[in-house]
Amino acid sequence: MPEEELAKDLGPLAALTIGVGTMIGAGIFVLPGPAAAEAGPIVVLSFVIGGAIALFTALSASELGTAMPKAGGAYYYINHALGPLFGSIAGWGNWVGLAFASAFYALGFGQYVAEFLAVPGVELVVVSLTPAQVGGVVAGLVFVGVNYVGAKETGRLQNVIVVALVAILATFAVVGAFRADPATLFPLTPPGRGVEVVLPATALVFVSFIGFVQITSVGEEIKEPGRNLPLALIGSVVVVTVVYALVLLVLFSVADLSVVAGNETAVVDVARLLMGGVGVAALTFAGLLATASSANASILASSRINFAMGRDRIVSDWLNDIHDQFATPYRSIALTGALILVFVLVGDVATLAKAGSVLHLVIYGLLNVALVVMREAAPSDYDPDYRVPLYPVVPVLGALTSFALIAFMAPVEIGLSLLFVVGAVLWYALYARRHVEESGVLTEYVLDRADRMPDAAVTAATSVQPDGGQYRVLVSLANPANETDLVTLASALASARDGIVDAVHIVTVPDQTPLEFGAAYAERVDGSSEQLLARAREDAETFGVPVETSTIVSHRSYEEIFDAARAHDADVVVMGWGEDAHGSPGRAETAIDELAADLPCDFLVLKDRGFDPASVLVPTAGGPDSALSASVAETLRAESGSDVTLLHVVDADERGTGEAFLADWASEHGLGDAARVVETGDVETAIERAAAAHSLLVLGATERGLLSRLVRGSVVMDVVDDVDCSVLLAEKARSRPLRERLFGR
Amino acid sequence: MTAPAPLLSNVLVPIANEADAATTMDALLERLAAADGRLTALHVVEKAGGAPDKVSVAQREAAAEDAFAVVTARAAVAGVPVETRLGYGTDVAETIREVAAEVDASAIVFTPRGGSVLVDLVTGDVARSLVKAADRPVVVLPAPAGNDDARGGE
Repeated sequence: MPEEELAKDLGPLAALTIGVGTMIGAGIFVLPGPAAAEAGPIVVLSFVIGGAIALFTALSASELGTAMPKAGGAYYYINHALGPLFGSIAGWGNWVGLAFASAFYALGFGQYVAEFLAVPGVELVVVSLTPAQVGGVVAGLVFVGVNYVGAKETGRLQNVIVVALVAILATFAVVGAFRADPATLFPLTPPGRGVEVVLPATALVFVSFIGFVQITSVGEEIKEPGRNLPLALIGSVVVVTVVYALVLLVLFSVADLSVVAGNETAVVDVARLLMGGVGVAALTFAGLLATASSANASILASSRINFAMGRDRIVSDWLNDIHDQFATPYRSIALTGALILVFVLVGDVATLAKAGSVLHLVIYGLLNVALVVMREAAPSDYDPDYRVPLYPVVPVLGALTSFALIAFMAPVEIGLSLLFVVGAVLWYALYARRHVEESGVLTEYVLDRADRMPDAAVTAATSVQPDGGQYRVLVSLANPANETDLVTLASALASARDGIVDAVHIVTVPDQTPLEFGAAYAERVDGSSEQLLARAREDAETFGVPVETSTIVSHRSYEEIFDAARAHDADVVVMGWGEDAHGSPGRAETAIDELAADLPCDFLVLKDRGFDPASVLVPTAGGPDSALSASVAETLRAESGSDVTLLHVVDADERGTGEAFLADWASEHGLGDAARVVETGDVETAIERAAAAHSLLVLGATERGLLSRLVRGSVVMDVVDDVDCSVLLAEKARSRPLRERLFGR
Repeated sequence: MTAPAPLLSNVLVPIANEADAATTMDALLERLAAADGRLTALHVVEKAGGAPDKVSVAQREAAAEDAFAVVTARAAVAGVPVETRLGYGTDVAETIREVAAEVDASAIVFTPRGGSVLVDLVTGDVARSLVKAADRPVVVLPAPAGNDDARGGE
């Protein structure tokens, strides 16, 4: 669509500068000091290792990004591939991680400002703020404010800022190279320590690399993403690592370690040595530019992640409201801003840096796992323009190194990340699960192959599935001949309530056959289960209804339907009825009685003589089951345009009362304008007579236990066999008294 | 020279958001129905052009859908033919003019949205640009006072 191509206006340079600009933030300006105090000049190696770890993830992100260039980036890939549980972790982690990082940048900004301007400290009643914190708070407010108001110019300015920044740092490196004395680099590590200091230092400085993933959050705006996205991701990591390495080498080879160690504005002090006042001014200016651009980009990215989370229903869409005047996602920005300010007030530079890193490392690890899942599950619409070289080495290493680096953080940060993951999981379990609709490629993969997967995996996949406040229609397909009619009915029901069709193929194998061989048995006896489910899927999709499919191999058929209805949290079960529909129930009559006495949900059983909802007859005598019939009839009328006729049979002298009852009942159940017929005499004869003129009879169970009697083959009413049209039997789930629920059936 | 088309025969209505859609439809539909006109509703997604946008495109498209839903529902009630379009551009007013030329609109119609001078300065004043650089009639309708009912009041 040519117009939508206009939505893409980021060329390769713009995309690259987003990455470089976000990454070169306070990290290189503020962290060499604290890092060197811990590890000495070998910190250069720490940075390079950080770059390498980032590179693995950049490669994985490139593939995922070219396959799915959507707003929300890394969060979206993880949510799509691993499902909403991990999506919850990734979304919250990315968002709060960006808030930590932005607080770090704001504080770094404040540091630099305080160093060179006389910023006063502030003493409030309960808290005192250092000059750096004051600067940080002001900076935070400005960055957030600019984004809240949506000033247009900040976008274009970003490119200029980044180019200027890189130029200044490059000049610093070049000038420093001439004055460098390699001997100053040694000793590489503090006295008495060896290589073990490298990785903890990497953990501290990793925040300097966390910007590249934000390129993916604007993925939908990049021109020719297949080419430019990988270019920008990989390019920015490489460029930034090189810049860091050069700057650090200069830092440590020009000045003595004592100048750098513990000095949070080390770069400026070394610039003074190299270039005097000009150097100080240039590098301070660069520091301010860097922190400002990183903070700005992070806040921008965080609102996209909120949007993507809202779109997937993991958080409420309330956050994503767009301001009437400013046209910005003001609530999201305000909330992120509040978080940033809190973090600036309570955190110090090192903790904020590591907190931001930790959360991002979790996401990077998950991102690499997501890549593996997408490659292994290989859904048909997964078609990346860029594929990582050396699969699976790259994503596996990426995941391992990311998670491993967390181990090198201080206990405070590891504790924080664990707390965080737990919090996100709880959020999913208590809130998101009811709202989310998509389950993720991984869950579908496991459930589609339920019979070949270990039970634990299937249970896990099913139990974390979103249960949706969504209306779920479970269709039990045992007989391929009934498939289309059952799925048509199910789709109509699902479509009316904006719900989902869950097609389950239960393959019954004789008791003698072990279930492991059941799948092979299914192939031979019932024809391909996959073919059946594929047809069901197609049929449901013609109604525009989302559909899930799964195969269950079991020794029992009816019990399996009940189990599936419970496990899948279905709202209604649609199944067929006939001698061959579910195989012989065998010896399980008592079990069926118990089960059927307590239905997990509403049941609709179709005696299929060709499903034609053109003209529907609903006999009623009141009662909850005929209420269910009314609801089904109403759905058929709305979805298929059926003509509905209501029938009420009374004794000869009660016609008046009968008509009044029927009129009330009709309007109560939304069928006020359906045709109404009151007959006298024998109920079954009246129904049979009326049914001759209709194409579908919807009959509510007259008492509990419909299903059990069906299964045992005893006929509910002769009428079912005597009419020529299809019959739909409806039995409503009854709610059980609490005592019964607690103490068993 | 042929007579120019009646003013309200084929109007282009820029819509900023759902609230704007409601107000504008209230002000416009009765007049349009009386003039037997048709309407094209346009939402322009403002692009930064070479830099990341302040709001993601997908988010704005979703918000536009909500606004369009209001437009089409009310237009259907009033019996006015309606078409909705999305535009993209760095200059909102310029994009509106381009689309107006494309559909050969007889007029560009909108209701003024509030906004202080300061806000307009920072965020750009589309209304002003539309009026000052008009190449076809631009009609500003007063926002109706009071309730939302398209059939109530003037």
